[in-house]
Amino acid sequence: MTRSADTPATTGPGRSWTCSLPLHGVHPVRRVAFAVLAAALVAGGCSAGTGTAQPDQLRIAVAEDFGPLNILNQSEDPLTFLVYDRLVAPSPYAQDPQPWLATEVRNVDPKTWMISLREDVTWHDGEPLTAQDVAFTVSWFKEVPSGTYTHHITTVPHIAQVEVLDTYQVRLTCAYACPFLGTVTLAHVPIMPEHIWSGIEEPTRHTELPVGTGPYRLVSHEPGQGYRFEANPDYFAGEPLVETLLMPIIPNPTTTFTALRTGEIDAATQFLPPELVEQFRNADDIEVITTTPLQFPELRINYRRAPFDDPEFRRALSMAIDRRELNDTVWLGKGRVADRGYPHPDSPWTNPELRTTYQPQAARQLLDRLGFTDADGDGVREGPGGPLSYTIYVDGSVPVRVRATQLVAEQLREIGIGARAETIDTGALSNLLDSKEYDLYLDSIGAHGVADPTQFIMSHFSGYLWDLPEVPYPAFQALFGEWKAAETIEARAGVSWRMQELFNSRPTAIPLHYPSGELGYRPEAYDGWVESPGYGLVHKWSLLPREVAQGAGAILEPGR
Amino acid sequence: MSRLRRALGRAGQYVLVLVAATTLNFLLPHLAPGDPVTYRYGGQTAALTPEQLDEVRASYGLDAGLPEQYWSFWAGLVRGDLGVSIGYSRPVLAVLAERLPWTLALVGVATLLAFGLGTLLGAVAAWRRGSRRDVGIVTGVLALDAMPGFWVGMLLISVFSVELGWFPSYGAAAITADGAAEWVGVAQRMVLPVATLTLASLGSIFLLARASMTSVLDEAFIRLARSKGISERRLAVRHALRNALLPVYTNLTLAVGTLVSGAVVVETVFAYPGIGRMIYEAVIARDYPLLQGAFLLVTVGVLAANLLADLTYPLLDPRVRRSEAVEAREPAR
Repeated sequence: MTRSADTPATTGPGRSWTCSLPLHGVHPVRRVAFAVLAAALVAGGCSAGTGTAQPDQLRIAVAEDFGPLNILNQSEDPLTFLVYDRLVAPSPYAQDPQPWLATEVRNVDPKTWMISLREDVTWHDGEPLTAQDVAFTVSWFKEVPSGTYTHHITTVPHIAQVEVLDTYQVRLTCAYACPFLGTVTLAHVPIMPEHIWSGIEEPTRHTELPVGTGPYRLVSHEPGQGYRFEANPDYFAGEPLVETLLMPIIPNPTTTFTALRTGEIDAATQFLPPELVEQFRNADDIEVITTTPLQFPELRINYRRAPFDDPEFRRALSMAIDRRELNDTVWLGKGRVADRGYPHPDSPWTNPELRTTYQPQAARQLLDRLGFTDADGDGVREGPGGPLSYTIYVDGSVPVRVRATQLVAEQLREIGIGARAETIDTGALSNLLDSKEYDLYLDSIGAHGVADPTQFIMSHFSGYLWDLPEVPYPAFQALFGEWKAAETIEARAGVSWRMQELFNSRPTAIPLHYPSGELGYRPEAYDGWVESPGYGLVHKWSLLPREVAQGAGAILEPGR
Repeated sequence: MSRLRRALGRAGQYVLVLVAATTLNFLLPHLAPGDPVTYRYGGQTAALTPEQLDEVRASYGLDAGLPEQYWSFWAGLVRGDLGVSIGYSRPVLAVLAERLPWTLALVGVATLLAFGLGTLLGAVAAWRRGSRRDVGIVTGVLALDAMPGFWVGMLLISVFSVELGWFPSYGAAAITADGAAEWVGVAQRMVLPVATLTLASLGSIFLLARASMTSVLDEAFIRLARSKGISERRLAVRHALRNALLPVYTNLTLAVGTLVSGAVVVETVFAYPGIGRMIYEAVIARDYPLLQGAFLLVTVGVLAANLLADLTYPLLDPRVRRSEAVEAREPAR
């Protein structure tokens, strides 16, 4: 393993942090600890901090075929970032992200960031990583068809200019203040190799195996069958603990967990179905870890249609949902009651004071005040458009969601809203948002949606949480103006919290349950698994020396 | 001349059916609510604005009207280009070519086994109709037939993978294997899905073979042969079974046509990378080009099987051969 000493930290008028300077405050103990780690890495290479065996290979079942990990197409962060790296690690969902491909990420003024790169990083094909690659990545994401990462470059924030200062220095200038750039944007966007992608005319149709800087090289992708990753022995942060990762694609959960039981696989990325949890907990050769995934099922409301366009009506809906009953009845008490609204309470960017409580009587009174009364005594209130009778669509292939929808419909009927559940197929459900042809439907939302504060803004422009600028939303737009003007992380987080309060007082998506996720693995094969926020157990941080993952702030410590 | 005319007429029918089926195959996915771009980029993540979604849609040619897309589809078809799968970002032909061999191997072997075993059991049961052996076989096969395929699969996995550890429980090939070991692994991984498919499709073939054999055994020529003192084995195989096979053969050729459509349930239970699972996933994802290509493949398969039946049936049934010969000799009117 080759590694040069980290570039010394520099200071400036804004926030600055380096490999030896933690993000939130410069705590002396942590600084020393990180310095010791860096010295250990440089001097002696890396070893497993866990003391567990380092197997030659691991077999890990994945539920879907994500193709050859072209990040413009199917994107699955835990797999993608085995191959690629970010300037800052581990993700926008972590409490305390640290420079990763960068040695320093410095906010020199509200709109400008200076980035110094490590000088010891090479791409899997041996080419060195330089500032040119960073500049290319920013420009490239502006040119290629839109995808998950696009908004980080073009909208929130908007990186207007990128300048290469020397081989390992680059300056990014935003169109408006961008204090989240270091902790959110650069912690999400992968750095792409210019020498590979600059020559590709149709990048979405590029199906060659990826070239990254990450700890693993994808050496084989058999469509519909699986992946094979080989460790990158020259990885700058330390040699991965497992030489080969074999990832068969097994969509069916029953098949996956049978294979785990027979020992044909060592771990799986799918959560154990609730009915199997106890059985697997009692098995001698299988360990089960309860994780806290950053995702939730939610009731989506068509705010374009009356009466859902009335914020007070949406508030009444929110007050009518008994989230505890949903948690206890549908999800059998596993996970947490979703009484802290949207976004996910485990995101470091979520207002800790948010509360959404069950108040059916207050909901009834509110509907009375709004003029929705049951004049004909049939149990369903009427409004100017007729009876308040609505369909709640749900994906029929997910039984637990169907049951949740039925229960939500019952709860809405309790306050005089005639709701009924109707199942449709996955493909049709995914089109509802775009078609705008619905009243209510139940879907789920993942980490990017519920834990990335810039995506929360973006979701108000995408049609998901709102449809700006087509549908005006003066209260939010005023806050967005404040948000853009805020020049520090603290100021911006403050505005974000007010946006969240506004949202939960008139929600267009109501979280129904904060799930837990039980993941099973065979400890005799490998016992170094650690949870990283939003990524479960299977990700690069479980496969790197423990102190490296800790140094990056990638491990979700129990009791966070 | 009339034979040529008949051949041309039949070819015309095939072309007509192909065009009609291909048009339906194009229209059906488009008629379903949803589209591949919202499936992929909308819905759950909703990271893109409606304008950005339109931009992605345009990059796949989905912004054009349906007639225009239909025309492009045919233009591509004439050039042998089935387009690019939206889900896989690869040419549809390449995706189909990857999946087809697995499906042909799995469903092909299972179909042959099911027909062989079903016919044999049907003949044995019919030979002593009403005997305890007949009742036992009918009960056993119908019980198997009543079990859902996925359940049979799970049962086989439970016994032969979990308890006995004889066969792998999933997949078509070990990802690590190579060379000779790979083929051993492939064969091992085929055993349980092939067994499941065979058992799941055995019932109908068995009943057909048994009914056909029973009916033939009631024929006068069987009584005549028996009265001539022909051995029982010769009577069963050369006289009865040979005639009883005709409807079974017709069914076999039609089953060959559906080979390429795969077996959704079994491919899902065993995580087998065949066409059936691919079609199911493409339907969910509304992957229009891939669905059009897969449906075209199935249509061509069914038509080819029909053609095969048309061409080969006279070889097996002299009555058809003779009637065709008579028709050919008749002067044109």
